[in-house]
Amino acid sequence: MSVEVEVNENDLAEMVEQVWESYLDPEGVSPLMQTYDENQASEVHSSVSITGSWTGHVVYASSQQAARRAAAAFLAMAPDEVSEEDLSDVLGELANIIGGNVKAMLPPGALLSLPQVVLAPETTARYPNTQRITGVYGMWDGEPVSISMWQSRGDNKEGAE
Amino acid sequence: MTRMRAMVIDDSRAMRMILKRIVTKLNFEAIEAGDGKEALDLLHAMSEVPELALIDWNMPNMNGLEFVTHARADPRLREMTLVMVTTESEQSQIVRALAAGAHEYVIKPFTEGAMIEKLALLGLVPTGANS
Repeated sequence: MSVEVEVNENDLAEMVEQVWESYLDPEGVSPLMQTYDENQASEVHSSVSITGSWTGHVVYASSQQAARRAAAAFLAMAPDEVSEEDLSDVLGELANIIGGNVKAMLPPGALLSLPQVVLAPETTARYPNTQRITGVYGMWDGEPVSISMWQSRGDNKEGAE
Repeated sequence: MTRMRAMVIDDSRAMRMILKRIVTKLNFEAIEAGDGKEALDLLHAMSEVPELALIDWNMPNMNGLEFVTHARADPRLREMTLVMVTTESEQSQIVRALAAGAHEYVIKPFTEGAMIEKLALLGLVPTGANS
């Protein structure tokens, strides 16, 4: 099934803002500052897959330090107390929250996977036969964070190469 | 006065922590479960059923919708207030959860204030507990 994706950069940015407001920066003092640099580096990433009316992946990627800070904010602990398990858990939940909200904007009939977390750069990820269609790229207190959507080429006939 | 109890059911420890912080602040005793199956096992072992369950949808082993269906079929759990706390925000999913027996629905991401307002609407905390 081929569908025109209905989620754009502004929609993603709005979701990201809600995540920051709810969990990562409730005081509103340290928002994600957009850089619009889709090639910014990452050290860890997490993703959820969506299948059905739209097929692809939603990927959250960041530096190790930004991930540690996110985990500390979620778990109400100091960044140096965050374990690898905490990092994985919070990265997975971030992908789940953003992916779930992306799914809600897609045509009915999409299903969301459980999150996958990889404590390695996004460049190590392999999403066969997909293309990045949109994303939000920014710095959070000087540390890179990105959220991107990858669409299966089979799901986007016009965009296939 | 006996403290009310809330069961927080989510496969993410981080999300359980956030929900636990909120309900503890509201003077609930919090009990954690990592999925629907673990929650049911814990509930069956308890002499008294918690007043509230906050339930994620997407979890391994037994998802939140399955948990709600099981809980509603069990007369012993009839009095427990069930609140879905999930990223599943499509209208059709909300309708499914409510039809299965959930009392309320909170969409992630949520702020602490929004969660407290929902619980106040359910009469589980005093109105104005958020202020």
